[in-house]
Amino acid sequence: MNIHEYQAKKIIQQYGIRIPKGGVAYTPNEAKRTAAKASRSGPWMLKAQIQSGARQKGYFLEKSAGPRGGIRVLKSRRDILRNAEQMLGSTLVTVQTGPQGKTVGRLYVEEYCKIERIFYAGIAIDRVHSALVLLVAAIKNEDITNIAFNTPEKILKINLDLEGDTKPEQVREVMDFLRLPPKSARSLETFINGMHRVFVDYDASMVEINPVGVMKNGELIALDAKISFDDNALFRHRDIEALKDDYEASERELQASKYKFNYSEFGGSVGCIVNGDGLALAVMDMLRAKGLDTACFLNVKGGVDKDKIASGIKIIMTNPRVEGILIDILGGFLRCNLIADGIIAAASEVGLNVPLVVRFEGTNKEEAKEILAKSKLPIILADSMEDAATKLAAAMEETD
Amino acid sequence: MSIFVDKNTKVLCQGITGTQATFHIRRSLDYGTQVVGGVTPGKGGSLHLGLPVFNTVKEAKKETGANASVMYVPAPYVKSAVKEAVEAELDLVVCIADGVPIKDMLEINNMLSGTKTKLIGPNTPGIITPGEARLGIFPENIHTSGNVGIVSRSSTLTYEAVIETREAGQGQSTVLGLGDDMLIGVDFVETLKRFHEDDQTKVIVLLGRLGGTFEEVGAQYYKSLSHKKPVIGFVAGNAIPFGHKMGYAGDVITKGSISTQDKKDIMEDAGMIVVDNINDISTELAKLV
Repeated sequence: MNIHEYQAKKIIQQYGIRIPKGGVAYTPNEAKRTAAKASRSGPWMLKAQIQSGARQKGYFLEKSAGPRGGIRVLKSRRDILRNAEQMLGSTLVTVQTGPQGKTVGRLYVEEYCKIERIFYAGIAIDRVHSALVLLVAAIKNEDITNIAFNTPEKILKINLDLEGDTKPEQVREVMDFLRLPPKSARSLETFINGMHRVFVDYDASMVEINPVGVMKNGELIALDAKISFDDNALFRHRDIEALKDDYEASERELQASKYKFNYSEFGGSVGCIVNGDGLALAVMDMLRAKGLDTACFLNVKGGVDKDKIASGIKIIMTNPRVEGILIDILGGFLRCNLIADGIIAAASEVGLNVPLVVRFEGTNKEEAKEILAKSKLPIILADSMEDAATKLAAAMEETD
Repeated sequence: MSIFVDKNTKVLCQGITGTQATFHIRRSLDYGTQVVGGVTPGKGGSLHLGLPVFNTVKEAKKETGANASVMYVPAPYVKSAVKEAVEAELDLVVCIADGVPIKDMLEINNMLSGTKTKLIGPNTPGIITPGEARLGIFPENIHTSGNVGIVSRSSTLTYEAVIETREAGQGQSTVLGLGDDMLIGVDFVETLKRFHEDDQTKVIVLLGRLGGTFEEVGAQYYKSLSHKKPVIGFVAGNAIPFGHKMGYAGDVITKGSISTQDKKDIMEDAGMIVVDNINDISTELAKLV
């Protein structure tokens, strides 16, 4: 689960990390008032609060929002008012949002900070070594993922312990790597320890401050902040769960999450229903090999209730992008006959208007096939994953 | 022979009185698995499925001589359940639950290091040695005893590989899922090592997936072996755009992840037979045997 920048900043501030003065605004007038509180004379930063990186380089779909991106430096309060009017309610597109973009419902207004230089700081999980890893890199304007791909040696990686503070020698290593002035030492220690504690205390899966600004007096300041939380640990953090912004998920994603099914959307035309994420990946690969791309997949793993399964299948059947459906179930704990019942229940409610290919294997597969045959629905049965993809490709070509 | 479990493995079930555990332990018993008892705190002294129930793993081990555990406890309780198993010095713990918090897994892996206890999972279908022992949720009827060792990072996809061996007229020595979560216990290296030490295993099927670098590390180990058993490899996730939310954003920045194609190239370079179509595994198996 992700939260907005202003929420993340509030959390890191509690751990002694300095942030620019500012506040959140839902209306243009509120933005103007907040600006006056953050700084008497400006300039100010006006920042769209959508859960995406690269907001500055993004653009708005609406012409009325002006040609500038989602993060704007403004010199007068009148500019704040005008730009807030432009941005609120408009759709911001970034490299991370996809072409449909995200609607801006709130803004963050803060004082503009004069800084000498910037760097990237993040804490993530090193999966193979099962450890926390602190990442820092000197940056100018480039994207950290590009640095990771092209010049990974420019990123310093230090494994951190789960318990206790970051070790003094680790802080010194960061100082040396970034060539920070001695006057930044104390501020850096506070910064790294703060991030470290936020990560552990809040069960984060990632904490990023990008960029960190170095001020003239050597002090460090968080110009942006991003915290991702481990969904599986939210039961320990009800206060964080309450920050969940449903606005950020698509309606179908929300429906699927209600049933605890994993649902993902892509650019293609086939809807997939499977039981297992790995199986989903393999089915998508198989479809591509047959010239088809996936619109969405639903993982009904763990589904033991016919009504829940039917509701999940309906999400796929009513997705307007879907021109064909492939259902591949390898029944273990999940019994195939439940899926068959679910298919029929869903089809009788919303209708089956596109080709549907089903492959059943494992627990109760014969019973499931019989249920489908009796239903008289135009369902195509397949014997293997490859057979299913081939048959769906043929059926979709026919309906074209 | 086989790896990790066989007919002599004495199995405990942690959380035995739960619904899922009851369903699967009954099936494992029917399959012939030597389940010797269960643990549910507060229910010690009772009988469940005809098996003695204990309050602690330590007590259960002392009374039954168990050396392995399969746990069906819900994710929030996994950490304390593994801790008990480690302290009782069991050889193997199989954890079925999905959704174990990352921080708990970091603590669990810290706890396991330097001990004799191996953890399979979490979020795994478990491990099965056909005809001998089933620890987990495998649909046991698709398995037959044979010479193909199967290891997979994905749960359901493991069954697909089993079906491929069936298509090729082969059976399996041992089949195990490493687990679908971000952090896991036993990895490809440990599994490849054991399959190479096992006489029954003649061929290995290795199923990887997008995310992490477990396949790369496994391939490097395989490359270093002087005597190699044939490995047929597959990596799922070619059609997923790199950096999609299916993956972990931190992977990209830590370079803890590489593309599906990169994984395949590294595996091929290490000497594995890599297939692009999962249903070609049976064809490759038939060629080898």
